[in-house]
Amino acid sequence: MPYRWIEHTGELEVELEGSTERDLFEAGFDAMRELISDGEGAQRLEIPVKLEGRDRAALLADWLAELAFLAETRALVPDRLFTLDLEEDGLRAMVQGWEGAPQHLVKGATYHRLCFERTDAGWRARVVLDV
Amino acid sequence: MSELRRIDEVVWEIPAGTRPDMRVPARVFADAELLDSIDDGSLEQLCNVATLPGVVDAVLAMPDVHQGYGFPVGGVAATAPPDGVVSPGGVGYDINCGVRLLAAPLTAEELGRRREPLVHEISRAVPAGTGRGAGSGLTGVRLEEVLEQGPRPLVERREVGTHEDLELTESDGRLEGADPAAVSERARQRGADQLGTLGSGNHFVEVQRVEEIHDREAAEAYGLRQGQVTVLIHSGSRGLGHQVCTDFVKRMDAGLGRHGIRLPDRQLSCAPISSREGREYLAAMAAAANFAWANRHAIANRVREAIARVLGEEAAAGTRQVYDVAHNVAKLERYGGRELCVHRKGATRAFPPGSPDIPERYRGVGQPVFIPGSMGTASYVLAGREGATERSFGTVCHGAGRRMSRTRARKKVVGAELRRMLEEQGIVVRCPSNTGLAEEAPLAYKEVEKVVAVVERAGLARKVARLRPIGVVKG
Repeated sequence: MPYRWIEHTGELEVELEGSTERDLFEAGFDAMRELISDGEGAQRLEIPVKLEGRDRAALLADWLAELAFLAETRALVPDRLFTLDLEEDGLRAMVQGWEGAPQHLVKGATYHRLCFERTDAGWRARVVLDV
Repeated sequence: MSELRRIDEVVWEIPAGTRPDMRVPARVFADAELLDSIDDGSLEQLCNVATLPGVVDAVLAMPDVHQGYGFPVGGVAATAPPDGVVSPGGVGYDINCGVRLLAAPLTAEELGRRREPLVHEISRAVPAGTGRGAGSGLTGVRLEEVLEQGPRPLVERREVGTHEDLELTESDGRLEGADPAAVSERARQRGADQLGTLGSGNHFVEVQRVEEIHDREAAEAYGLRQGQVTVLIHSGSRGLGHQVCTDFVKRMDAGLGRHGIRLPDRQLSCAPISSREGREYLAAMAAAANFAWANRHAIANRVREAIARVLGEEAAAGTRQVYDVAHNVAKLERYGGRELCVHRKGATRAFPPGSPDIPERYRGVGQPVFIPGSMGTASYVLAGREGATERSFGTVCHGAGRRMSRTRARKKVVGAELRRMLEEQGIVVRCPSNTGLAEEAPLAYKEVEKVVAVVERAGLARKVARLRPIGVVKG
């Protein structure tokens, strides 16, 4: 799995790995899908996402926060990342899923110990989620 | 941490010289046993807070301290305007998370077999554990009005609650300087349908009985007597407050270079109080704080409605509010002739007898403070003492303090078994998920008795009453 959970006293941290920067954003989607998922609903949703920012670490935190926001405000239980275009100054994505009863374990993503870096094997990031 | 030195029976200090970037010492209120249990990085976080520009005197950790985001939970930091900073992370995501205590006009014995129907009715009346579509507390009142004025429009326009409830709320339930225009559209979207809802995590409504009175004079002033039924409400500003924090952490992080601020952790992002970002954050934070007071006010009203359905209108009308106090907020307060911005994150204001900032009827005994224990254990009512003004910017702890992660608690505790154990102890439990129940298991928290004992030994507050749960509705 391109992501793993690390636990701390009052928080939940996710560590992401990949060959490219884009991989980390995909892995972030997978991690949030695992946290939010809850059963299956009938009403399909397809929601476009556009985020701006040149700072990759902050953009990744924004991306995870956006998925939590959509779960809270649109009841989106995401199941598929249909498109993801990572650009120099932001990202565009099409998120698919269904309208359901998403778990609200995650309320957002923090900047606490936020990290996005190149490694010998590719790329690695770390985001602490607000739970 | 080896640099810790004992400066008092229950006060420890990490000197400012321990790290080159620390501007003031870091002090911890704890006994030796609680200090030993702090092994989660929260003291390093406290030292990080001591690097903030304009921080004065010392940064403080209350005895329930544990690791948070940037600031530790149970952390206190005061900064001096105009150049001192305000940090959204020093308030936390759940702006004005806090507790409100109601006292019912009957004893647990008189409640008798109606206890379970009452807890059940409260669980039906107060939406919990959901993100959207659950609250309708805004009917007849605009969000703008609540952001600006707190619960007052609910009282004056919809007859929800009473003027006495407002008087018995910290800051009368309204922080000055709130500006709805500083609250983003996204934040409004999250909060619009959440007024009157509990939320998830460690939020709850607990039905209790007064198990022991420790201070008769203060208990009498607060209207508490042995055996009485009380209801403790723990909630905050829901998604709206969360989004305000998110928006300003991001915005201030982007502006750090402009203000020449370097930080050991990006979550500590901040801006001078006098800067445009600083002023706008304080205006948005005040609006979110007002929303939170309106939220607990609306929840309390739903609790009274539940009491009316189960126990009758007379019992509901006789259910009075003891007090409502915030534990995640930043406020401008005066200490020794200085105006300071006091950040309290997971820490409770506790003003002493005679303070003009507490309701007149409590000025003889000091401000009421409520310290919830973990689920199934006792909670405490305390009264603020002069020692808090002198030693902790008028602050005490806010709870038992988490000592185990939610994930670990879920692995160690089976929710269904915990539910059965609590019910065997005579506690009626209503919780939408066994997983959520497991996360808040008592073993995930420190012992509240030990935390409160340190507060008392440090002279910050004195014990007034101990409350024992008889029913809990968990978010």
